[in-house]
Amino acid sequence: MRHSSSVVSGVCAGHPAITVESMGTVISIRIGAAAGNAGSPHDEAPRAAARQAVADVFRGWNDRFSLYREGSELSRVNRGELRLTQAGSELRDCYALALAWRDRTDGVFTPHRADGAIDLSGIVKSLAIAHAGEALHGLGLRDWSLNAGGDILVAGDQTPGLDWAAAIVDPLDRSARLASVPLRAPLRAVATSGSAERGEHIWTTVDGALSPFRQVTVFGRDIVTADVLATAIIAGGRPALHRSTETFPIEVLAVLRDGSLLATPGLRADSA
Amino acid sequence: MRIRAAAAAALASASVLSVGWLVGVPAVESLRSTLTTTLSSSASAEATTTTASGPGTSSAATTTPETTAPAAEAPAATEVTGTFDGSAVQTRFGPMQVSVTIDNGTITEVTPLQLTNDDQKSVMISNRAAPILRDEVLSAQSASVANVSGATYTTQGYLQSLQAALDAAQF
Repeated sequence: MRHSSSVVSGVCAGHPAITVESMGTVISIRIGAAAGNAGSPHDEAPRAAARQAVADVFRGWNDRFSLYREGSELSRVNRGELRLTQAGSELRDCYALALAWRDRTDGVFTPHRADGAIDLSGIVKSLAIAHAGEALHGLGLRDWSLNAGGDILVAGDQTPGLDWAAAIVDPLDRSARLASVPLRAPLRAVATSGSAERGEHIWTTVDGALSPFRQVTVFGRDIVTADVLATAIIAGGRPALHRSTETFPIEVLAVLRDGSLLATPGLRADSA
Repeated sequence: MRIRAAAAAALASASVLSVGWLVGVPAVESLRSTLTTTLSSSASAEATTTTASGPGTSSAATTTPETTAPAAEAPAATEVTGTFDGSAVQTRFGPMQVSVTIDNGTITEVTPLQLTNDDQKSVMISNRAAPILRDEVLSAQSASVANVSGATYTTQGYLQSLQAALDAAQF
């Protein structure tokens, strides 16, 4: 643990987060207070540039892949107006990546809807987060956090010597936190899958049974891995949980339906 | 000695199957080569040894041989009964060691003995999610937390979320 009270108190004279609405949710951007960042976090110009860069990336991905937009490239592919082979390389690469994840998760994660349509929504948001992070890097920012609807990617430090950290929501009481976990290298990304924020969206496993998990949080080296595996574990139940923790360099915090927890060793308090 | 050689040969095939199942297809190839190389070389080395096994050798066998099979070749595992610990082998996933239970030449159980890695950056077979109490979960100082991870919230849901409160905070 590298926290110290002086560092924490030094954090408090900053800005509210920068927010952008896209993909039906809100993206929160924070710029760290490290001296290495281009400009100071107290300057408005880099904050505006960061906001614009992230907004542009998310709009680009949404325009291309949203199934809510009739004119999106993916909607055109699904209607048969555009052959997959004629689609842009971004779409084909994204589809190929989703198919690779389908294979890595034994088909639990899938880019296909029941009606056969290609649905890349399970991977597009996390790809947008990853690309938005690259855009921030391109602006000369080395210390930042991105949170898109609960899926988080960070780089650098929150303040010099202080890791970014993520709190995990308690699905039984959304105003409470289950844990607060430092996002230390190499696990700089975290994604959570579970019942929807409002209404009981019942997740079922691949064989049609009720998922044993109410919520699954995955810490990974990249946001796509974390996001895909969180989804796969919810849908695949305990076999998918154990297979994922055995195969990938991740940490997992899972909330069972009765509210009890399962955690990998790295998330135990005594492991810190 | 024959029994240990036979067990090592059995381990070479059984553990590859088992470990391959555990860690998934991408890992199988490297494991297969590592395990096969290590175990078959240890098998052949031991097959040429004439002294009884002692402490310090790589395979510790607690075995009840039913017969003394005449063949010195490693594959003659047909009538062996016992539990055999393979030697720990280094793989890119960390040190691995398995135990094989053989009943009359048939492998009945393969158990991982040492599949851990001190380096938490590596993939760990032992990285199983296990039951944990809420107050046993890692907790950083709450003052430093700027982000909340939960099931995806909508634009509307965001307004009532912990994240909105954190985003408004000036830190």
